[in-house]
Amino acid sequence: MDGTLTAGESHRIDSRRFEVEALPWLDDVYRFALSMTRDESDADDVVQETFLRAYRSWHTFEPGSECRKWLFTICRNVFLRLRERERRRVDYGGDDAQLEALASGQEIVGSIGEHTDILSHVDLAPALERAIGELPEVFRSAVVLVDVEGMAYNEAASVLGVPVGTIRSRLFRGRRLLQESLVMFARDAGLATRAACEV
Amino acid sequence: MFLTETEIVAMDCTDVVRQLWDYLDGELTDESMDAIRGHLAQCRQCYPQFDFERTFLEAVAATRREHPAPNMVRRKVLAKLRKAGLEV
Ligand SMILES: [Zn+2]
Repeated sequence: MDGTLTAGESHRIDSRRFEVEALPWLDDVYRFALSMTRDESDADDVVQETFLRAYRSWHTFEPGSECRKWLFTICRNVFLRLRERERRRVDYGGDDAQLEALASGQEIVGSIGEHTDILSHVDLAPALERAIGELPEVFRSAVVLVDVEGMAYNEAASVLGVPVGTIRSRLFRGRRLLQESLVMFARDAGLATRAACEV
Repeated sequence: MFLTETEIVAMDCTDVVRQLWDYLDGELTDESMDAIRGHLAQCRQCYPQFDFERTFLEAVAATRREHPAPNMVRRKVLAKLRKAGLEV
């Protein structure tokens, strides 16, 4: 024995590592894919393609680094490719550059402290989930990665391939849009007066 | 950095409110985190806004229900990987 592995042995070790490190994130990758596609059948395709690509480029994964982040980055790229194909077929709507400008121009100052009671009034989960789904995609992906998946700004930036400052502005704009949706929801549900909704 | 109580209260409320999300996300320097924490403990104007944003972010985080991938997706992924050579 000289300590070197046969091709078969190293292949089995790689398989085992992929099974132990990458496959357990399947639910997370599916959830992230679904948040982007908002369509189960598309999410299904994106997840299959993500894991296939991940397996084929497993040798590029740095052991010890965050596998979920690595998989999310691949997943994001697969999704963008799918969307690009869709765009060529139909005009997808939503101008990313325009939305980006909107996000960066957004000032964060504004007082909605008086709406604290709205948040504690009802189970907001269904309304919030719907509102997240309705966010323009550039804001949604930032909100999902940071607020739902709990990533730091720099991790989300790495997944989306944008500077940290871009994550911050997309995130802040996305959160404001969500809050506006919630206030509207509360008003429609009779939980807030019209005057209190004029933020 | 050490701030006296007067300096903490004297911190501009506008600056505090502008940085609330960075603060809640833990994305500021230790000094800024301390300064804002100190300000919030003593400022009656900023606290309700902080409380609102915190409750809001908790509500968003709570939408992360365990949403397992359907078994069908899992089976398809495994089938694809096996075909590509994975031994599971
Ligand atoms: Zn204040």
